[in-house]
Amino acid sequence: MATVVKRLDLTVGEIVEVAGRRYEVVSDREGGVTIEPPITPATELHARRGTKPASAADFERLSVDVPFDDEG
Amino acid sequence: MPDSPAGGPPRVPIEFGSLEWEEEVERYGPRSSARTQAQSARKAIEVGMAKLDWKRCKADGPGGAKLPGCRKLYVPLGKEGASHTPYGFVFQLIQKPDDSLAWNLIAFGERHPANERTRNVYERAHKRLHGRYP
Repeated sequence: MATVVKRLDLTVGEIVEVAGRRYEVVSDREGGVTIEPPITPATELHARRGTKPASAADFERLSVDVPFDDEG
Repeated sequence: MPDSPAGGPPRVPIEFGSLEWEEEVERYGPRSSARTQAQSARKAIEVGMAKLDWKRCKADGPGGAKLPGCRKLYVPLGKEGASHTPYGFVFQLIQKPDDSLAWNLIAFGERHPANERTRNVYERAHKRLHGRYP
């Protein structure tokens, strides 16, 4: 049986649904695109929950003794 | 679960939002190493039995990841060396409607993916904070 190829014209940032699950179209870093489960932006989550990023002063107060590493 | 020992700075709870957990941890297969390690680490944090070896994230990190106001934990907890702690949680310090503070999970994933097309946990955290990959 011949495989039927479904051709999709997708661009980065679009959301697609496959078998009931949503995926975001993202760059594959090689000039093409791939799909992956979406990451809901923090701004959207804050708006839903009534939260916000803590102040830099609060972060520094709590983290003054916490070390950095050589990663992100 | 408080993140600070007695006598330390004010205790701040650690929270795992259900949506973030689904997007970050449950994207892995149910029996995958990543998911089982994340579940074990979360359980240890929530029962308060884990020693939390926090690290600060950089406001302007390698690869363009900008994670101000964030900290991370290597996973599995309590181990050292990248080969023994291949995953990481990234948390953002947030202020809640009642003005209390919490460390809120924003990303989980591989710290140093073997496959260069796989986004690392810092890139995922950047995307959640800024809406796009660095």
